[in-house]
Amino acid sequence: MRFIWKSAVKDLRRLRREPATLIIWLGVPTFIALILTLVFGRGAARPQGELLIVDEDRGIGASLVSGAFSQGSLAGMITVNKVDRAEGRRRIDQGKASALLIIPSGFSAAFFQNKPTKLELIRNPAQRILPEMIEETLSMTTDGAFYIQSNAGHSLSAIPRAGPLPAAGIAQNAASINQAFGHLQKYLAPPLIQVQTTVVKDETEKPGGFAALFFPGMLYMAVFFIAGGMAADLWRERTSGALRRMVTTPANLGAFLAGKLVAATLVLLTVGTLGLVLGHWLIDLPVANFALAVIWLTLSGAGLYLMMMLIQSLATSERVANLLANLITLPLAMLGGNFFPFEAMPPGLARIGKLTPNGWSMMELKAILAGSFHSSVLLWVAVFLMATWLLTSWRIRRAPC
Amino acid sequence: MIEVEQLRKQYDDLVAVKDVSFTARQGEIFGLLGPNGAGKTTTIGCISGLLTPTAGSVRVAGHDVVREGVAARRSIGVVPQEIALYDDLSAAENLSYWGGAQGLRGSHLRDRINDVLQLTGLLDRAKEPVKQFSGGMKRRLNFACGIVHRPKVLLLDEPTVGVDPQSRVRLLDLVRDQARGGACVLYTTHYMEEAETLCDRLAVVDHGQIIAQGTLVELRALHGERDLLRLTGVFRPDAVREGLAQLEGVEILLADEAQLSLAVSDASHRLPSIFAAVHAGGEVRGTTLTEPSLESLFIKLTGKELRE
Repeated sequence: MRFIWKSAVKDLRRLRREPATLIIWLGVPTFIALILTLVFGRGAARPQGELLIVDEDRGIGASLVSGAFSQGSLAGMITVNKVDRAEGRRRIDQGKASALLIIPSGFSAAFFQNKPTKLELIRNPAQRILPEMIEETLSMTTDGAFYIQSNAGHSLSAIPRAGPLPAAGIAQNAASINQAFGHLQKYLAPPLIQVQTTVVKDETEKPGGFAALFFPGMLYMAVFFIAGGMAADLWRERTSGALRRMVTTPANLGAFLAGKLVAATLVLLTVGTLGLVLGHWLIDLPVANFALAVIWLTLSGAGLYLMMMLIQSLATSERVANLLANLITLPLAMLGGNFFPFEAMPPGLARIGKLTPNGWSMMELKAILAGSFHSSVLLWVAVFLMATWLLTSWRIRRAPC
Repeated sequence: MIEVEQLRKQYDDLVAVKDVSFTARQGEIFGLLGPNGAGKTTTIGCISGLLTPTAGSVRVAGHDVVREGVAARRSIGVVPQEIALYDDLSAAENLSYWGGAQGLRGSHLRDRINDVLQLTGLLDRAKEPVKQFSGGMKRRLNFACGIVHRPKVLLLDEPTVGVDPQSRVRLLDLVRDQARGGACVLYTTHYMEEAETLCDRLAVVDHGQIIAQGTLVELRALHGERDLLRLTGVFRPDAVREGLAQLEGVEILLADEAQLSLAVSDASHRLPSIFAAVHAGGEVRGTTLTEPSLESLFIKLTGKELRE
């Protein structure tokens, strides 16, 4: 036991005296997290897009359709710009707008006279969300127009007569419309269907916005780098002859390896604690159970450390060990949601990513942060830790140098 | 203290150590002399418990190194060929760690750290990181880590490789001190002069086998107390052999197109006749005469020179 601690202190001292290593391990994910925070801010980000409208009608109907995109929260996301047809085609072809809406000449007249007409919407295929929103909005607007036409068509048909109406005509039209709406009173006042809206807080909602979405991944990236870097120390000790010397002493090789595991665990504990505190403080990361999150991060990190140690022990040279570690770390970090959150991945890839050790650990961390945790996963971690420990120590005992 | 019997270490088809037997006693410096790749380090590896012998037995301080590994290793101090230290730690921290690995603790460990730092002349640099040390200082600290627990048996695997002459002299003095203090020292080297000046007894190793062993006097006797005459130049080996065959008391140890190595009794008085005999088979451009030595014995036994 004493020698385990002595070995752990030895590794911690060495790490402290080479702070550049630790800075690199922590620096990469911190830098990425910082950039993301700067780009997306602390709040939930909104998409921004542009709708180009070619208004060849220049009538009331066209104004009503255009106006539908300037209402409520949609106005904050979509900027409407009127262009001519050629300019509109050019810009949508260049992918510089979310969609192009063409309102043909005679649209208003056709609408008021209840004649068939056509609106043309060209979507930007490179975008997914905004063109979909525009199409939905347009669809709702045309549905609304259909119902208005069905109920007040007769009165509306009198509006777009050619030329300005005389005062008597205007009065007659107004009276007709008023009468039409009067018929609708029984449906509209009070409405037959009353909509009552209650906003239920989404449990999976990320208060910290995009930065909080990325943060657990960044945290696990740091954990992965630390685990990989500290495991690589095995080869430094091999090449320096320290491991060779260790085997010739009466000290237990298991105690030596346990010391390394203790050192790695203490580093992970410190980094995990600091990471969660900073995440909570800087980007409002929700932390439902701080202690459990730290414990989980440390234990899962220790598991990753042993996994990387096993990889190191399987290599036949330091070069091969580095190559193997890189070949495994980078794809796992990418697939396991450490660079890109699962939410931004294609569903199939995300499903695979969640099965990787780091991806699975990160999902469990997210569950802990959100306040839901199944204690049975601790058993899985214990099994993983035990298995990797036994394999690693067996492998190193078998070929220590 | 060290009893090696019929030791054999084999890796698949490669026999690294072949039926090696020797005994090293308390207070003695026993040398293993041989070229690189002769099997010296493998032999030390088997004695120190680093490698498991394929066959044979090794006992250290009465303990079988395979069956009673921990007990045997308590008696052993190893100074490996490489500088097996932690560069980021100070000299004292390295000693503390390796002393701890040997089971030392508390004030006893602290006293021993001071003692060995004093002994190796590193006391004033105790708190400096090892990476700031010179090569010679690192070698001395490497040695100190091997003796921090006062081992009964000290295994030194080419401890002076790459060391400047001054540090080498100091290290060799330290080795002698250990033997004088009662330790049994097993010393491997490929430096002839080190083996000659340091070791009480020697085993000459080549291709994993001991080809001769004994005290320096005994080994020289094997060679017949003859001088070693080295001639360099341009030679036709067959013609030279033919010419020298007519001279009595001249043994050809090595003959190729660029050099001749001869074992000759009373060589200084016989040089004219040797030159005359060689003249027919080539041209002599350089001559070196060495009194009976381990080197001449080595060439005689192995048919080759011992180089770094």
